[in-house]
Amino acid sequence: DVKSYRKVQEDDDADGARVGGNEKFTNRPDNTAFTQQRLPAWQPILSAGIVIPGFVLIGLAFIGVGVALFVTSRSIQVLERDYTGDESGTPCASCANSNVQNCICTLNITVETLFKGPVFFYYGLSNYFQNYRRYGTSKDDNQLYGVLNPSDNCAPYAYNSNNQPIVPCGSIANSMFNDTFKLYQTVNGTRQEVSLDGKGIAWWTDYNIKYRNPTNNPLKDAFNGSNSGLFYRNFLINPIYWSKPAYELDTSDPSNNGFVNQDFLVWMRRAALPDFRKLYRRISQDKYPDGLPAGNYSLEITYNYRVYRFSGKKKVVFSNVSWMGGKNEFLGIAYLVVGSMCVFMSIVMLIVYAKFKFPDEE
Amino acid sequence: MTWKSPVALVREALQGQRAREKDLRSLMSNLPYEGLEKGKQPNRYFPSNAIKTTKYSLLLFIPMNLYEQFHRLANIYFVGLAILNFIPVVNAFQPEVALIPICIILSLTALKDAWEDFRRYQSDKKLNNTPCFIYSRKEKQFVERRWKDVRVGDFVKVVCNETIPADLLLLYTSDPNGVCLIETANLDGETNLKQRTAVSGVCNSFEPESFNGIVVCEKPNNNLNHFKCYEKPDNQKVGAGIESLLLRGCTVRNTDHAVGFVVYAHETKSMLNNSGPRYKRSKLERRLNIDVFFCFILLFAMCLIGALHFIWLYALPGVPPYLVPPANGHLDSPNLSSFYMFFTMIILLQILIPISLYVSIELVKIGQIFLITNDIDLYDEETDSRIQCKALNITEDLGQIEYIFSDKTGTLTENKMVFRRCSIMGTEYPHKENIRLAVLNEPESEEEVIYNQDLQPLPTGWSLESEEANSEDTHRHGSRRKSKVLGTTQSDVAFSSPLETEVIPDRKLLQQISRTGSSSRCQKIDPYLEFFLALTICNTVVVSMATTQRRRPLTSDNLRYEAESPDEAALVYATKAYGFTLLARTPDSVTVRLPSGEVLVFEVLDTLTFDSNRKRMSVLVRHPITKEYVLYTKGADYAIMELLGTPYAQRHLDCYAKEGLRTLCIAKKVVSEAVYKHWLVERQRALTAIDNREVLIMDTAVQLETNLTLLATGIEDRLQENVPDTIMALRQAGIKVWVLTGDKPETAVNIGYACRLLEDEDLVLVIDGRTLTMALSPDLRGDFVDLAKHCRSVLCCRVTPLQKSRVVKVIREKLKVMTLAVDGANDVNMIQAADIGIGISGQEGMQAVMASDFAISRFKHLKKLLLVHGHWCYTRLANMIIYFFYKNVQAYVNLLFWYQFFCGFSGSTMIDYWLLIFFNLFFTSLPPIMFGIMDRDISAEMLLGVPELYKTGQGEGDYRFTTFWVSILDAFYQSLVCFFIPYFVYQDSDIDMFTFGTPLNTTALFTILLHLSIEIKSWTVVHWVVMLGSVLFYFIVTLAYSATCVTCNPPSNPYWVLQNQMADPMFYLICILSTVVALLPYTFHVLRNSIALSPLIEAKHLDRLDPSMREEWMKEWRSYRGGGQVQRSTLS
Repeated sequence: DVKSYRKVQEDDDADGARVGGNEKFTNRPDNTAFTQQRLPAWQPILSAGIVIPGFVLIGLAFIGVGVALFVTSRSIQVLERDYTGDESGTPCASCANSNVQNCICTLNITVETLFKGPVFFYYGLSNYFQNYRRYGTSKDDNQLYGVLNPSDNCAPYAYNSNNQPIVPCGSIANSMFNDTFKLYQTVNGTRQEVSLDGKGIAWWTDYNIKYRNPTNNPLKDAFNGSNSGLFYRNFLINPIYWSKPAYELDTSDPSNNGFVNQDFLVWMRRAALPDFRKLYRRISQDKYPDGLPAGNYSLEITYNYRVYRFSGKKKVVFSNVSWMGGKNEFLGIAYLVVGSMCVFMSIVMLIVYAKFKFPDEE
Repeated sequence: MTWKSPVALVREALQGQRAREKDLRSLMSNLPYEGLEKGKQPNRYFPSNAIKTTKYSLLLFIPMNLYEQFHRLANIYFVGLAILNFIPVVNAFQPEVALIPICIILSLTALKDAWEDFRRYQSDKKLNNTPCFIYSRKEKQFVERRWKDVRVGDFVKVVCNETIPADLLLLYTSDPNGVCLIETANLDGETNLKQRTAVSGVCNSFEPESFNGIVVCEKPNNNLNHFKCYEKPDNQKVGAGIESLLLRGCTVRNTDHAVGFVVYAHETKSMLNNSGPRYKRSKLERRLNIDVFFCFILLFAMCLIGALHFIWLYALPGVPPYLVPPANGHLDSPNLSSFYMFFTMIILLQILIPISLYVSIELVKIGQIFLITNDIDLYDEETDSRIQCKALNITEDLGQIEYIFSDKTGTLTENKMVFRRCSIMGTEYPHKENIRLAVLNEPESEEEVIYNQDLQPLPTGWSLESEEANSEDTHRHGSRRKSKVLGTTQSDVAFSSPLETEVIPDRKLLQQISRTGSSSRCQKIDPYLEFFLALTICNTVVVSMATTQRRRPLTSDNLRYEAESPDEAALVYATKAYGFTLLARTPDSVTVRLPSGEVLVFEVLDTLTFDSNRKRMSVLVRHPITKEYVLYTKGADYAIMELLGTPYAQRHLDCYAKEGLRTLCIAKKVVSEAVYKHWLVERQRALTAIDNREVLIMDTAVQLETNLTLLATGIEDRLQENVPDTIMALRQAGIKVWVLTGDKPETAVNIGYACRLLEDEDLVLVIDGRTLTMALSPDLRGDFVDLAKHCRSVLCCRVTPLQKSRVVKVIREKLKVMTLAVDGANDVNMIQAADIGIGISGQEGMQAVMASDFAISRFKHLKKLLLVHGHWCYTRLANMIIYFFYKNVQAYVNLLFWYQFFCGFSGSTMIDYWLLIFFNLFFTSLPPIMFGIMDRDISAEMLLGVPELYKTGQGEGDYRFTTFWVSILDAFYQSLVCFFIPYFVYQDSDIDMFTFGTPLNTTALFTILLHLSIEIKSWTVVHWVVMLGSVLFYFIVTLAYSATCVTCNPPSNPYWVLQNQMADPMFYLICILSTVVALLPYTFHVLRNSIALSPLIEAKHLDRLDPSMREEWMKEWRSYRGGGQVQRSTLS
């Protein structure tokens, strides 16, 4: 009702103006390019003349990129070893079947040629859904930012049965990977430990910005409650699966403890897919500037993490990296395939186009 | 104010309710009660004149607006999902985040509503505070008050050129005859003056204080042409009808001042007539709803697949560390968690039901309507009117029309009448001079753009008073020149434009008259004089005076004729040309000057007004010389013929009809005094009756109109400009044009040829009303439709409005085609029966316009409206809708869905929630809306030049059953590419969730926008800005968000993710590869474009040529295509 009523009024105004004799065509629309839909326009038509050369160009470019990717990927060395121990006779079978804490098993590895540095040392898990939704929400960003009070998100891993707050709370922290590795090189029958570098394996922003320890010094004070200055009366508790408290994760380096422990940070960055690897260490470049020389190695594994509950697998991976990251042949091949397809299709199109354009010449 | 008990208040309220509901209302003057408290006022139950068109009040805006918005099913669905998200076991997002989209949609709509309401409030305020004059007893005069102060029972004075504040019963005017002229343009668009007369019985020296009667009137209704009441001064009934009612919103003209008694305030007829915009559902929208239903099925299937995750749970040998029990510490059973998962999936994939699509469609239609109403080609300078879009949501139907049903009068023709020929006493006077004039004038009028329709008068030597005629000519020239300079629009001119006065008398007839004139004193028997007298007297033409401020061209003797119907004006101008000048008309008398200079004053005893049942009107006068009671009757030929004894001049009437003239018959009857006296009594009774008054009045009229003697005439209704061209174009566009007219077959056929509806080689069906009734009977209906289907055009003659609507309904239902009805007058039925009703705001009767979906001012506008705007609106909207389905399925839903296979069907997302929501709301919402409003596949010139292109939209058009599924399949394919290329790249790597999601999201954005880029047919500045802006906006917002938000949205945390990715060359390589592979299938389109040229593509190619080349190509193409055989093709 309102609209037409307003129209009456507008007409009224118009009438008034007409009587006044000033405005003649009060209702005349504006004659602008926009309202008359006459804006200058570019009207591309995808015709064979544009598309065929375009395809050839795209195809050639893709083939170029594909070759580069493929060659790079081929140059990357990867060494993978499964150590789940679910098959009898494998080195870690005994550890997998016992429930002994810190069970130690050893994996012998032979490097045929020089493993060019920098060499990255990963551990890998499969069939492990770090991307599970409820698992992913089971953490407290604010706690990890230094505010120790655990939020409800962490339940049921927020407080223990004595109502003591768990730090760091939540399922992700609780399920942190706790196998440890030591690599030895066998030189002339003697084992020589290969020094591993654990610095900077997590994101820089995680280590410096996203995660923060409480300001107490030493860090332990924040956790034992007695003189923490915080309002917790209770002691803080480390996650139930953890064997040591958060402030003692790395006894060798005090700045690598609490929430800013590199291994912890790597674990907290949830993997996107169920089969994943996570960076464990780098082969120290001070000692091995060229990478791992050829020879025999033994990897001493402290076997703690149980994977049989989800039919998972554990593995260790040694890999060097290039500008394109780790080894991945797929992208190079995909570029090559798509590039050749483009070229092929442009030839097909050219033939079809020619047949239709010049039918007389048949 | 005294205290009142609640009971008294309730009683008061009930009384008020009863008083308002009663069929008859008794109103008293307020004056005796002036100054008393409200409870003592006699008319306190009736609302005051203050208007309030606002929907909301300041306090209640939010609840009321929400209530209104929740009437829309889509919003309820959305809110339901948001609430579902608050249930911890099923939630997919954080509860608050899920509220964002619905909140944004609701608040946007609320903002729009608030703004509209505020504008209404402002205009209400302005209107309510308009000054007016109300009589005050205290000051013994009319004092200035505001419109809102007017109450029922007040006396209001209105002065010339002022708008009437409320419905007034006219009691007194400054005119000695008690006449007040009003212009109702604000109500119905009619610009001619209407005459209102003061209620008889109230003397000339009217004093409000002495008014002691009671006005009894009917309950308010919205009929503008109907009102009845009676007044009881001194217990004596005086009836009054619409002729004494001044309607709110009308303007007083030609009358110095008038006083009226307020009968309706607020419930005025104009207010009751304001019905809102019409809601129709377009064909495309009906189609769309089916596809939305398919989306529901798809959603259900996908959610079921998600719920199947319990199979996977059963397969696990133990409880893995990543399965987190709820807060109570116990894991749900697999079955129960699957059940929950189903709902989680619904929340996650909710976008599959495109809620945003409905909002977008609404926005697009607003934009389309804005562009249509702003088209300067659809603007008519003459009436200063644009096209009005009354139905807001059927713009795209304009592009699918297959049948047009058109009325003749006022639609194809101007409805501006010119007197052409007459037949008196069996002699035909062909008025050859007029025909010559028309022929001579034709080339000129075609050359100049048609706005100037002035005819150049030829020098003639026919006039009795040649001097006067000459001066008249010069004067007319002068006024015309002035009108050009001032740019006076013809709406001011109504029927007194120079055109109608341009009648050159027939030489033979003129001689005949001058002969009888000179032989004097034998007028009473002379049929020629009688004929012209009848024409002069028997009408309702008003002679307006020079005092008015309306700028109308003046005739020499300052006479201007204002008529309610154009043929009446035509006739009076014709008689004037013969020297019979209508000098004045009052309710009681008619003054006529004869060629001899003698002035006769006829006493008007009664006027039997025109009604559509009788199709005639009569005037009963007393001849000043013979003192006879004479009844002159004028009407449609068949309405008069049935009242005559012998078929008289039938031959001439047929001949007129063949020439396409509208014929009118004039008849006369001498009534004896006794008969008159007897009749008068009955008439009086009929007039004061409240029940069945119309029927009684009509009966009395019919009683008198018997045994008439015939005089005859023929007048022409000119074709509107460019009608033949428009009809040709519409037919080339594959639209069948039917003309349904009340005229005789001969007239109809003639008009059919004139407007090129009929051509010699055509198979045409001409059918008249009686035959049509039989053809439409249930058993013949099918055959009739089959026959009509094969005819190029169909002409239905002598059909009634009801039959017209039945024809439309039958065709619409039987053939399942889109129909459009055009009408210029009052055929509301037909307009409402069609899918689209178009009203032409013409000369008489605006009911059609009121009931129409679109109102145009000229028939020729139909061409651009359908061929250009219809085509554009349809292709734009159809393509936008298809694109929207694709977009929602591709980016949002499928990427998430594929991810579920790799996250244990847990409802995880690999993109931050906020970015996910922003993606749909901000990054990709504007481009499709712009696409829907502004895309232009083919230029307007091309569409107008090659009407055949319109056929692409007819029938199934662009938007078919398969189109939807093809676009869904396309979306599935693209989402597979967008998901699995990154998947294979990052497989078995140390990639984390959001880092994995970033290239997915980015690729999705690029694919979606590039897909649209390929769909966009013409790129204007706006397109570039919107498209590039969207991409920029995505990167800026995402970068800013992931740079600032350290812990602001726990537990989701995208900190520095995009920055990290953008530093990695792999990110770009993945995005490029995925985008290219996703869009590769488009090459098939390209192949098709180059090999099998669709007409639309061909037209696009032509569009790129320069205009002169294009012109040539168009001609060649048209001839090569044989003007018709354009294959339908799809665009997408």
